[in-house]
Amino acid sequence: MTNLETFSYDNKIVRNFAIASVVFGIIGMLVGITAAFELVFPSLNLGIPEITYGRIRPLHTNAVIFAFVGNGIFTGVYYSLQRLLKTRMFSDLLSNIHFWGWQLIILAAAITLPLGITSSHEYAELEWPIDIAIALVWVVFGINMFGTILKRRENHLYVAIWFYIATWITVTVLHIFNNIQMPVHLFKSVYVFSGVQDALVQWWYGHNAVAFFLTTPYLGLMYYFMPKAANRPVYSYKLSIIHFWALIFIYIWAGPHHLLYTSLPDWAQSLGTVFSIMLIAPSWGGMLNGLLTLRGVWDKVRTDPILKFFVVAVTAYGMATLEGPLLSIKSLNAITHYTDWTVGHVHIGALGWNGMLTFGMLYWLIPRIYGTKLYSVKLANTHFWIGTLGILFYAIPLYWAGWTQSLMWKQFTPDGFLQYGNFLETVTQILPMYMIRAIGGTIYFVGVIVMVYNLMKTAFSGKLIANQEAQSAPREVHVAHKNEYWHKWIERKPIQMLIVSAVLILIGGIVEIIPMMMIDKNVPKIASIQPYTPLEIEGRDIYIREGCVGCHSQMVRPFRSETERYGEYSKSGEYIYDRPFLWGSKRTGPDLHRVGGKYPDSWHYNHMYDPTSMAPGSIMPMYPWLFENDLDTKYTAAKIKVHQSLGAPYPDGYADKAVADLQTQAKKVVANLAKDNIKQEGIENKEIVALIAYLQRLGTDIKVDNQNK
Amino acid sequence: MKINKTISLFSFFLLAQFGLFGQDAAAPAPVATANQNLLNITYSNFLVVLAVLVLIGVVLAGLNLVYAMLELQKFKVAEKFGIDAVKDESFSSSNSLWQSISDRLWKLKPMDKEQDIDLGHEYDGIRELDNSLPPWWLWLFYGTIIWGIGYLFYYHISGKGPDQKTEYVAAMQAAEEQKALFLSTQANDIDEKSVTVATDEASLAAGKEIFVANCAVCHGQNGEGLVGPNMTDKYWIHGGSINDIFKTIKYGVPEKGMISWQAQLNPKAIQNVASYLLTFQGTNPPNQKASEGELYEPAATTTDGSVSDPAKVESVKKDTTVMQK
Repeated sequence: MTNLETFSYDNKIVRNFAIASVVFGIIGMLVGITAAFELVFPSLNLGIPEITYGRIRPLHTNAVIFAFVGNGIFTGVYYSLQRLLKTRMFSDLLSNIHFWGWQLIILAAAITLPLGITSSHEYAELEWPIDIAIALVWVVFGINMFGTILKRRENHLYVAIWFYIATWITVTVLHIFNNIQMPVHLFKSVYVFSGVQDALVQWWYGHNAVAFFLTTPYLGLMYYFMPKAANRPVYSYKLSIIHFWALIFIYIWAGPHHLLYTSLPDWAQSLGTVFSIMLIAPSWGGMLNGLLTLRGVWDKVRTDPILKFFVVAVTAYGMATLEGPLLSIKSLNAITHYTDWTVGHVHIGALGWNGMLTFGMLYWLIPRIYGTKLYSVKLANTHFWIGTLGILFYAIPLYWAGWTQSLMWKQFTPDGFLQYGNFLETVTQILPMYMIRAIGGTIYFVGVIVMVYNLMKTAFSGKLIANQEAQSAPREVHVAHKNEYWHKWIERKPIQMLIVSAVLILIGGIVEIIPMMMIDKNVPKIASIQPYTPLEIEGRDIYIREGCVGCHSQMVRPFRSETERYGEYSKSGEYIYDRPFLWGSKRTGPDLHRVGGKYPDSWHYNHMYDPTSMAPGSIMPMYPWLFENDLDTKYTAAKIKVHQSLGAPYPDGYADKAVADLQTQAKKVVANLAKDNIKQEGIENKEIVALIAYLQRLGTDIKVDNQNK
Repeated sequence: MKINKTISLFSFFLLAQFGLFGQDAAAPAPVATANQNLLNITYSNFLVVLAVLVLIGVVLAGLNLVYAMLELQKFKVAEKFGIDAVKDESFSSSNSLWQSISDRLWKLKPMDKEQDIDLGHEYDGIRELDNSLPPWWLWLFYGTIIWGIGYLFYYHISGKGPDQKTEYVAAMQAAEEQKALFLSTQANDIDEKSVTVATDEASLAAGKEIFVANCAVCHGQNGEGLVGPNMTDKYWIHGGSINDIFKTIKYGVPEKGMISWQAQLNPKAIQNVASYLLTFQGTNPPNQKASEGELYEPAATTTDGSVSDPAKVESVKKDTTVMQK
């Protein structure tokens, strides 16, 4: 105990991230509540495009994932990393660049997403300049973290830090590969991969955003804050080792379970199913290590709200990670996919696991960095019960709604007709459930407000210990002794750990993605499939801008109930010019892949202006601005060029003729509308015409092929 | 303690459930076809099986709860009489069957011997124990891996598991057979040639219900016409006989905005709604849309549509050309 070094921990950066997490948590949840109520009362958008459901849904998901949980991760990492390594962060400057950079990115997201600037990949909607900013800030975080690890006073890395390392490297890989785009202009880009390949890359990313942004870093936090709060040793070091490596290796394979029964080849789907099932035990390893750490102190759980939050968080984690694999079994997935079941499932994760763990962590950490006691344990307990109640009110109605609606979709009469041939019937049936869900979300939100009050009172009663003094002996050269665990070696070698993690997480991605790119057999060609016309491309970009994909899938699965309702099931060869793919993940409205030619142009015109005019009781919002906005053709030629360079077979020099072609096609749509007595001044230049042209094209190319046969 | 037991119960439930997965895919390979039916039933009733397992789990958990409460009661009684020694014994070292199963599933080091497995290191005050991997957890992990190999073998190597296209074709075929079977028991073979005007009240009431739900949006509540044409006058774009109306509803006239209803309405339903909308004739409601199409005068006795007239013939001709396009 000689030779102690004195240094200080940076608490200010922890405080900053904590505030950011709470503030953006509130905003993200408020946006979520708004979206939930808009589903029941579509006119709640007040006719404002920027706050219409399709545009704020991605805002909600991004805000919760990257702003609320993201800042939560950084709060916990910056707090625990310093203490686990007995050193201050590597660089205060990098810490601050990381903090402000991340908040600016969030600000950019909050501005661009409501404006409809989106690249449409779920949880990766931000456009390319912001993507680059994210990569840079993430690298700053990485340098800061590894710098801290390298200058540590502790010989071995604790399990929490293994998770932080795996998180960092995997998110880096995912973010880069899911955002390979060709810019058209500053706010518009086109994905290099198309159709089924784009879908696979996106869901490899999407699934692992859940895995490596919402799960592994939070497991790291759990490994620090749970034993700290319980004052108990971690249950099993062996379990830590096995479940950590198994988890990161297996998780990365499971992405295709988001694409079961789609036109993704069967072999890739099966890999998704199999690896999801194999994920149960590694996931539960984390839950067991959390819950069994509480062995012997369960009486404390009764009185200590922090432990209560942790117990519910870990339990929600365990439930969601059993449910997820079960939903990856094809027979169950056939029922739950595209329904609200999935939404319920992710909210068990988000509200239960991420939310409750964040709250527990904040209640534990804020009093400590302010050198005071929690203002009110009673209020924290109240928050706990309100929050738990909110989760139940949120999730149960959605499970119910998803199940009900799916059964209605699949119900046939004995003489072979769909019992509920009108999609809308299955929507109005579950509206009460949507209402309860919105209330459930509001209850949960009230709990958060209670927490904010409690934490503010706590903070004001103390004073921030910006630099907390600590002492530790310097790191000694470690001599490996005989009976030590083989795993201790890698715990001393952060760089090796980084490399081994990287190799493990790359395997699954490579095995699944490379064959999809390289082997033509995986995407059988269909001769009659043509690229979109300029007007259709513009219409498609409006479809993307308005976030139509949030409620409408474009993927008819090979089920009788779907081919009867929508038409022939979708083939992978049909999507080869789809950049991005727009298969969607939720059907609040019907699938649109075969909507082309189903209704006349006039129907779409009336329906987009006021959906209830064509479908009384519809909960789709009105889109009057599409009838006022002039179609912007400034970038049409540039878009054609980009698509051409990526392989769309337009004739040479077609880009120059694109706008003329666009106008010719627009006139045809206008003529069709005029036949049905729809006349509007200057309509040929309005956005609605482009959207109609796109919708009428959807899924029709294959019909040409069938007629020729 | 109680919690531990509940967790172990849950693990039981999970193991049982896992057994099911194993059967689904891995087992059929060596089993004869007779058994395959049973497996198919299990597979297609996956949810029922799941529900039964959940139920078993709930029952077991309930039993466990009762047991725990009895134990607690014992403890309380003992306490009341001041018997302190009973305190720990009754919980931890009971030699019940349950306890021994639980011990084997968990292999937990007793709390008082924890220091034996303390790794002797602390990270910011956090110590780690070296409990063994819970055996049930390990079995679960091995089990899922074996299941995974079996699944991939069954679906992609053995050639026995159907791919999704095969599954679809089979499902469509089964549905066709079922439908044919059902229809053979029903007198529901109405088509555009054989259709007659239904006049009974039940049919017209059913027709009205369909009309209000599906047609009124475009044709008006009283058939006065909105986006779609007026149905109360004597002018018809695609023919005014029951046969023509039936046909228009059944196949639609997509280029004019009338969608095909044959996937949503069965022939009897189309007959009902066609018959119902004929009752609009001559009702003269307010806000009528201007007449479109050609005049159609039903022959005096043509409620069954069997008598043709020039107007009808012409409209049918026109209609078929449209259809073919």
